Amino acid sequence: MADHKWTGCVKSLKGVILDMCGVLYDSGEGGGVPISGSIEAVKRLKESDLQLRFCTNETQATREKFVAKLQRMGFELSVSEVFSPAPAAVSILKQRGLRPHLLVHDDVVSEFDSVDKTSPNCVVIGDAADKFSYKNLNDAFQVLIGLEKPVLFSLGRGRYYKETDGLKLDVGVYMKALEYASDVEAEVVGKPSAMFFQSVLDDMGIQPHEALMIGDDLVNDVGGAQQCGMKGLQVRTGKYR
Amino acid sequence: MATRRALKAVLIDLSGTLHIEDTAVPGAQEALARLRSAPVAVKFVTNTTKECKRNLLERLRKLNFDIQEQEIFTSLTAARNLLEQRKVRPLLLVEDSALEDFSGIDTSDPNAVVIGLAPDHFNYEMLNKAFGLILDGAPLIAIHKARYYKRKDGLALGPGPFVTGLEYATDTQATVVGKPEKTFFLEALRDLGCSPEEAVMIGDDARDDVGGGQSAGMRGILVQTGKYRAGDEGKINPAPYLTCQSFPQAVDHILQTLVQPE
Repeated sequence: MADHKWTGCVKSLKGVILDMCGVLYDSGEGGGVPISGSIEAVKRLKESDLQLRFCTNETQATREKFVAKLQRMGFELSVSEVFSPAPAAVSILKQRGLRPHLLVHDDVVSEFDSVDKTSPNCVVIGDAADKFSYKNLNDAFQVLIGLEKPVLFSLGRGRYYKETDGLKLDVGVYMKALEYASDVEAEVVGKPSAMFFQSVLDDMGIQPHEALMIGDDLVNDVGGAQQCGMKGLQVRTGKYR
Repeated sequence: MATRRALKAVLIDLSGTLHIEDTAVPGAQEALARLRSAPVAVKFVTNTTKECKRNLLERLRKLNFDIQEQEIFTSLTAARNLLEQRKVRPLLLVEDSALEDFSGIDTSDPNAVVIGLAPDHFNYEMLNKAFGLILDGAPLIAIHKARYYKRKDGLALGPGPFVTGLEYATDTQATVVGKPEKTFFLEALRDLGCSPEEAVMIGDDARDDVGGGQSAGMRGILVQTGKYRAGDEGKINPAPYLTCQSFPQAVDHILQTLVQPE
């Protein structure tokens, strides 16, 4: 970003959206560790005149448990400030009367408690990690291939993320596998979907050009935000290579 | 076709062309014997992810086909040759029944990834391992990229989805070694010492056998057995050099029109 543009951006800035994993903390065994200085930085933003929201594609835990984890690390944030794909997916499923077959992490299943899951007519995949076995992926594939018009939702489309013991495959890889196998195009819920970013802007009541997105993922955070007319800033922590 | 040189080699698909499961295509054994009496080299080419050459050979011999092991060239052999050429040590994600075709290959401290069909190995931990190797520069080699295959309990995921996923994760392109890749056909011809223009490919799959062979510069003959369905010859452009009822008719055509008396 050129300097003159950057000055203009700061002048009109009313809100900041922060990605979490790789920006605030690195995930891994025992929940992960805060990135140096980030707890204080969040505090400074909160004390400023800027609005602050958190936007994550985290789908390995319910939003409540996830927020509690960050609070234990020392971050000041509340559930209502955090936007994640699973609650967004639940509202889409209800709107369209869809009954999902879930291929998601065990700890996020309860987010879908209020959704009818009998006789599935779509598939929802999230970052299922160790649950991404051949059998589970094949079960999802058989649901899709058995539908007259297959519908696949993917909670994010990330390629990989960083854990303390190395880089791990993210949901996007399995989304691509199912797309290729069943000849469908997944609907992405979460970053970088424009609908997802718009819901965060609506919550702050500001225009895209008044918002800055900070993330470690060039495509999903920075690229997605810029597509919506927001400013994007990439940090050199987390998955940055 | 006036510029074509005399035919020197015939490549023949196995399943669907010479046999269908445990039944030989009628007259195929005699046709193969007639072909062998002509001055052409013969090779058998097939896409397989789980059957080693020895298993393929056993089945063919039970059906009374006169075939030698070194005449069989499979997608597994192609993968092995590529590994040897590049002098790399693979992480082999293939079924145990296919491992025999990789015997003698050093797999310690891997610096390449080979994806076949390996439901038991396609778990999160193993794919992360493969992912890490590819990020570190290991080439991704795919036996083939089939979307799914038919199993007794319904359709099941083939290697293609897993290859595609790893390609997306690492922003790389896999090297696919099986049919219909051009390199597969060229590799099959390599030790026969003839060019693609001097060879013909016979098979029941319009895209993988005939289309692939013709893209490599060979003539392609489509047989109406195995997976052939009416209208398949119209699915590729250029159309097959020839479409005929079954393998014996293909051999008749070759002997009458393509082989020049010495």
